[in-house]
Amino acid sequence: MTSLRHLCMATAGIAALSATLPANAKSLETAFGTVEIDDDPTRVVTLYTNALDSALTAGVAPLGAVATRGGDGVARYLSEQAGDIEIVGTPRETNIEAVAALKPDVILASPRLPEAQYDLLSHIAPTVVPDVKPYQMDSWENEARVYGEALGRSDAIDDAIAEVNAKAETLSEHQNDSPSASLIRWMPQGALVMAPQIFSNTLLSKSGFAVDDGGTVKEGRPHSDPLSLENLSRIDNDWLFLATLNAEGDEAYEAAKQSPAFERLDVVQRDQVVTVDGQLWTSATGPMAARAILDDIASAMDTAQ
Amino acid sequence: MRVLTHCLSFGKPRSLIGLWLGLSGLLAAIALLSLLYGAGDVGPARAWQALQNLGDAASYDSEAHFVIAELRAPRLWIGLVVGAALGIAGALLQAVTRNPLAEPGLLGVSAGAAFAVTLAILWGADTATLRVSVAQLGALGGCLCVLAAARLQGIGSDPIRLILAGAILSGLLHSLSSLILLYDQHTADEIRFWVVGSLAGRQLDDLVPLFPTLGVAALLTILLARPLAALALGEHVAIGLGHHPRVVRLLVIVVVALLVGGATAAAGPIAFVGLVVPFAARALAGPDIRRTLWLCLPLGPIVVVSADIVSRLVVPPSELPLGVLTALIGAPVLIGVVRGRRLPTL
Repeated sequence: MTSLRHLCMATAGIAALSATLPANAKSLETAFGTVEIDDDPTRVVTLYTNALDSALTAGVAPLGAVATRGGDGVARYLSEQAGDIEIVGTPRETNIEAVAALKPDVILASPRLPEAQYDLLSHIAPTVVPDVKPYQMDSWENEARVYGEALGRSDAIDDAIAEVNAKAETLSEHQNDSPSASLIRWMPQGALVMAPQIFSNTLLSKSGFAVDDGGTVKEGRPHSDPLSLENLSRIDNDWLFLATLNAEGDEAYEAAKQSPAFERLDVVQRDQVVTVDGQLWTSATGPMAARAILDDIASAMDTAQ
Repeated sequence: MRVLTHCLSFGKPRSLIGLWLGLSGLLAAIALLSLLYGAGDVGPARAWQALQNLGDAASYDSEAHFVIAELRAPRLWIGLVVGAALGIAGALLQAVTRNPLAEPGLLGVSAGAAFAVTLAILWGADTATLRVSVAQLGALGGCLCVLAAARLQGIGSDPIRLILAGAILSGLLHSLSSLILLYDQHTADEIRFWVVGSLAGRQLDDLVPLFPTLGVAALLTILLARPLAALALGEHVAIGLGHHPRVVRLLVIVVVALLVGGATAAAGPIAFVGLVVPFAARALAGPDIRRTLWLCLPLGPIVVVSADIVSRLVVPPSELPLGVLTALIGAPVLIGVVRGRRLPTL
C-alpha cells in the first residue's frame, strides 16, 4: 500500500516537473536571425498564403490567417481544409491585436514582412520569416521547407514537394514540343501580363511550357503595366491562361471577347484559352496550390487532346 | 500667364468665323495624327499607306486596317464627343457660377457621375444605356451641391472658396467610391476601369446611347446662349431684357449634368478639360459666352485628342491613363489663373 502511494507521488512529481520545464525547443534561421520555437507548436497563425498552405499540407490547422487578395476569407482552394479559421488581416495589413488575442506559439509570416511589423509580431510569439530570394523557380519550395521545419514536420512538406515535382515531370513528358504560353489578367483597356518568375508560371515551365511575357514585364515586377490593346499580339502564343479574380471564368472570357483586339488573337480563334482562378493562379503559393494548379493544367491538356 | 493671354488675343477681337475655321483645321490635323500614331507596331508610315489604300484590295494591310478602324478610330470619335461635351460644360458652368475656376472635374460634378456609375455597377447595372442616365443623374446631384455651395454666404463671390468646396465634395465622393471598392470585390475590376478616365478599350457602342441626351443638351445650349450673355451683365439687366434668371440657371445646370454625365459614362472622369478649354476660348475670343461656346466646340476635342495621342506614346508597350495627361496640361493653367494678380470675374 505504501509503495503504491509512493509510486503515485513520484508520478505526480514527474508530471509537475515536466510542466515547469520548457518544452523541447529548436532554433531556426530566419531573415531576422535565429528564433527559438517549440518542437511541436500547436497554436499557429499564418500571415501568408504559402504559410497557410504549408501548414495545412503538414497536417497543422492554423488558428488564424490573413484573407486572400481581393477576398474576405482564405483563398477558395483552401477554404475547405482551413475550416473555421479566424481572419486576422489582409495581405497588406495585419491586425496585430487579433493575432495577439489568439495567443500563438508561432507566427509564420511572408519573406517580405517589413521589419517594423516583425518587431511587433516577435513580441507576441516567435515569428518565422523565411530568408528566401523571391521570384526564383524554387522560391515557394524553399519557403515551404522553412515553414515545415518551424512546425517540426519537414517530412510531410518534402513529400508534398516531391509529389508536385513528379507530377509536373509527368505533364512535361506528355508535351510534344514545348508550347508557348502566357498568363494574363484581363482588363477592358488591356491585359496585365504576369511575370515568368511568379509561382504559377514556374509550374507552367516545369510542366513543359515556354512561358513568354512578350518582353512586357520589367525586371523584378510581378506583372506588367496594362498592355496597350495595339500590342496584344505580343501575348498571342500557343496557349493563353486567363486569370480572373472574382467573376466566373466563362463570364470573364466572354467579357474579354467583347474587345475586338482580344477576339481576333490567333489563340482565341483556336480557342486555346484556359480560364483559371486568379486567387489560385496569381495570388497563391504553396504545395497544395501547386497541386491544384497542376490539376488545372492537366485538365486543360486533356480537353485539348 | 497674362503674357500668354496677350499673345493669344492680339488686342482687338478677330472674326469668329476665321478663328473657328482655323481651330477646326487644327483639329482635323490632330485627328489625322491620332489615326497615324499608337502604342503598337503600326507606325505612322504604315498607317498612312493603309489609309491611302483603303479601297485597294491588292495592297490591303489587314493588321494596319484593324488597328486604325477598330482601335484608333473609336478612340478618336469618343475623344471628339467627350472633348466637346466637357469644353461646353465647363464654359456653361463658369458662366452660371460667374467663376472662371468652375470646372466639372474640380467641383465634383464628374466625381458625382463616377460615384453614381459605381453604385449602379454595384447593384448590377451593365447596360451602356442605363449607365449614361445614371451618370447624368449623379452629375446633376453634383451640380446641385455646387450651386448650393455657391449660394452660401461668401462662397459664391469668392472663386477660391467655391473650388475648395468642390474639392471637398470630390474628395468625399472619391472616398465613398473607394469604400465600395473595398467592400465589394466582386465588381472591383469593372469599377476600377470606370474611375480611371481613359479612351482605351471604349467601344463605339458606348457612344450611341449618348446621342439623344447630347442632342437635347446642344439644343438647350443654343437657346441659353443669349440669356446667359444677358445674365453676365447683371441680374437686373437680364430681367429687364425679359429673361428669367432662375429658370436659365436651372436649365444650364441640367445641360451641364447631361454633358458631364454623358462624357463620364463614355470615358470616365476626365479632369481639367472644362477649365482649360473655356480659358483658351476666352483668351481667343473675349468674354462673350456666345463667342466662347463656338470656340469650345473645336478646342475641347483638340485638348482631349492630343492628350490621348501623348498618352499612347510615352510608355510603350503600355499606355498612360488620359486623366493623368489632362491634369498635367490643366494644373499649370489652374495655378496660373489663381496666381493672376486680379482674378477675372465673369
